Amino acid sequence: MANLRKIFSQIYDKYIDKIYRFIFLKVNSEEIAQDLTSETFLRGWESFKNGNKIENPQAFLYRIARNLVIDHYREKGRTQVVSAEFAPIVDPREDLEEKAILTSDVDRIKQVLVNLKEDYQNVIIWHYLDDLPIQEVAKMLDRTEEATRVLLSRALKTLKQSIDLRNQ
Amino acid sequence: MTEKQLIGKIRELRQIKPRKDWVVLTKSQILGEVERERVSVSFFPLWRPALATVTVFGILFISFGFAQSSLPGDFLYPIKKIAEKSQAVFVSEKELPKYNLEIVNKRLDELNEIAQTNQVKKLAPAISEFQANVSEAAKSLAKVKGQDVEKIVEETKKLEENKKKVEDVLATKIETEELDNALSQIVEIQIKDLEERTLTERQEEILAEAQNDFEAGNYSQALEKILILSNP
Repeated sequence: MANLRKIFSQIYDKYIDKIYRFIFLKVNSEEIAQDLTSETFLRGWESFKNGNKIENPQAFLYRIARNLVIDHYREKGRTQVVSAEFAPIVDPREDLEEKAILTSDVDRIKQVLVNLKEDYQNVIIWHYLDDLPIQEVAKMLDRTEEATRVLLSRALKTLKQSIDLRNQ
Repeated sequence: MTEKQLIGKIRELRQIKPRKDWVVLTKSQILGEVERERVSVSFFPLWRPALATVTVFGILFISFGFAQSSLPGDFLYPIKKIAEKSQAVFVSEKELPKYNLEIVNKRLDELNEIAQTNQVKKLAPAISEFQANVSEAAKSLAKVKGQDVEKIVEETKKLEENKKKVEDVLATKIETEELDNALSQIVEIQIKDLEERTLTERQEEILAEAQNDFEAGNYSQALEKILILSNP
């Protein structure tokens, strides 16, 4: 058990930032991102300690995180939706200097990204933020590499159009 | 903005990171023992496990204490929620609707405090938490049977009062449609059940009042009257 803990501890250290960022960019709330991230790792740890073989921890954690975000929005769909445009954008960084680094352009991308469709969000986050090669993104999306390239191009185009629309 | 510039800006989102203290705390909550192994103690080796255990439990105990007064958006708030979820495990199915209503009341108290102190940033997460708990309470209310009504009357009444308070401060309506639907079903079943019973004249009057309350959507008042009729 101690050995399993040690292995999962390393997995946690390696992916906590990525999973948190992935969820935060979809829910735009520090509180909810923390909740869903801890639930992701808790489920991951429970599955791991019960002896389930995890060949690709990253893909495995992202799968849990995606499902949790979908469930979150499904629940929210029945309740009040606070538009990302008007909701206070909770910045998870404490350091004021660090906060200042994000320009209004980046804030705008954050706001637009949260409203993109799920596959567009995923392909952008995984390829441009996590630096995952197209081949790996394709596997995670269960698509061909060609289809993933097309998806990425459409996602970028849609993101750009939405930002341009806001700038007008 | 060119595509290259856009990709550059997207990459700046890498600066979004979770708070370090939250990362450490969450890890210790999930894995527990791991953090204990890493506590560096300079005493005699035999003291290490004991001291580390006391330290971990001490920190957890203090954190749980402080977490009780935390609000959505606060660093310690997830601990408060974990404590509530762990408590719910020990609550029997019969008591669960009452427990979930108590939690909804707690969320309303938090919303009230946030609204009173004008902590705008915490408003969105607080509303989200409230709605999630309303959903859970509505689900458990669906399982309420005749004899269990007594258990939920007081909390339902409190909920209506708290809701009114928050609505007054925020000057906006707080939506609890799911909960209202669940309560409406309970009241309707109870009224139908009472209609089939033989009642005294006074009891008939109370039932008529309960029906009026039901039609006006005042479910807690209707439930109070149903309770009087159910326990003569």
